[in-house]
Amino acid sequence: MSALRPQAAVQAEPEAADSARWLLRGRGLAKRFGALTALHPLNLEVSRGETLALLGPNGAGKSVLLHILAGLLRASAGELLRPGAPDRAAARRSVGLVGHASFLYPALSVQENLRLAAHLHGLPDASARARRELAAAGLWEAAELRAGALSRGLAQRAAVARALVHEPALLLLDEPFTGLDTRAADALARRLAARRAAGSAAVIVTHNLARASGLADRALLLRRGRGIWLPAADLASPQLLAAACDRALNERGAP
Amino acid sequence: MRALLAVLWKDLLTEWRSRERLSAMGVFALVVVVILYLAAPPPPGAETPQARAGLLWIAYAFAAVLGLNRTFALELENQAISGLALASVERGLLFLGKALACFPPLALVWAGAALAFGLAFGVDFRPVLGGFALVAGLGALGVCGIGTLFAAMAVRSSHREILLPLLLLPLLAPLLLGCARATDALLESGALPWPELQLLLVTDGVFWIVSYLGFGAVLDE
Repeated sequence: MSALRPQAAVQAEPEAADSARWLLRGRGLAKRFGALTALHPLNLEVSRGETLALLGPNGAGKSVLLHILAGLLRASAGELLRPGAPDRAAARRSVGLVGHASFLYPALSVQENLRLAAHLHGLPDASARARRELAAAGLWEAAELRAGALSRGLAQRAAVARALVHEPALLLLDEPFTGLDTRAADALARRLAARRAAGSAAVIVTHNLARASGLADRALLLRRGRGIWLPAADLASPQLLAAACDRALNERGAP
Repeated sequence: MRALLAVLWKDLLTEWRSRERLSAMGVFALVVVVILYLAAPPPPGAETPQARAGLLWIAYAFAAVLGLNRTFALELENQAISGLALASVERGLLFLGKALACFPPLALVWAGAALAFGLAFGVDFRPVLGGFALVAGLGALGVCGIGTLFAAMAVRSSHREILLPLLLLPLLAPLLLGCARATDALLESGALPWPELQLLLVTDGVFWIVSYLGFGAVLDE
């Protein structure tokens, strides 16, 4: 199990049966940038086959949390546990990240970018994986296009393909539907649902409550860096979810 | 090993398609040679113009810093550096790929600068071409090794264009001094200056080992 312990408090290891269920557990994760607290201490778990939606207004700390979970940002406090990942390399291999930027090299073609991404995870069949991912993402026609010449939507699809080329157990997505047309967004939603059915997990940062309601099993609302877990029943429809978000954000005495 | 080759291939392919770094370094090196010529022209009828060959390393150093800045600037486009940081292969392989990719464009620019310098200052490198290539090659290796580490350090700073030369040039001073002395000695005697070459080998070794070991920490920051 890999444990990233920035200022780690000593905590008991989870029970074996419990740790077989979850992919990632954060305890007391917090992030400060100088005097600014971007994320107050937060506990969360992401289990196999689960999709967690991270909701909240701009500047609430959603992307910060996502980058901490990806290992790109070091938490100021708390600890992040990943069972089945004996070291940092395995922890990185278990995660795929779709961020605000595409992480694509503009001078390389889409296919070359995917092949490179596979090589960066030490995969021996990089070309085959790149081709498979191109097919799965419906990007064959754009395979030879330079990433710098892609439209916003194609670049977003290529970014998702890049994050999935090494088949990570946990996919972290920051506004993945941005720039996608309805058809492409539906295709991505179907793909995420298929991954969930196959036991993979996802954390999705989104402002799109309809997508969150359709995809997520649980929802965490962030407000000024503090987490509020929403009742699972509120994910039944976008309207219920919107009402729950409003209640949580406007609640008197809420953080 | 595949990751190393993939990073090397990616950087070289990017350079081949844009030629951005090559052209910038090439023009810059040429400008420095011209400035050196205007500032300190060889005296008419001077018997030993070779003694000035060490000046060439000034042009080399400035061109190298410019190129190294560009090496990691390409990682900032689309935040590709985050993709690199998420790689699960050993960090040292990423370093080796990036550092080795610096070598061919630098060597090419340095060769062009040597030609321009030779024409401007009347220095004939042809009798000592092999020895000079060895000295320049060792110098370029050292610059690429430590330069890649420092370029990675500076890349996330908004002042990276200033920060990199400030950090790197003092560290490169012993290496460049050794190269300049070796070049002068080579041109004067025609024989390989072994003490200087040994110093260059040791410096290169230290630079590459330190950079290999330190690159992961820099990338993860």
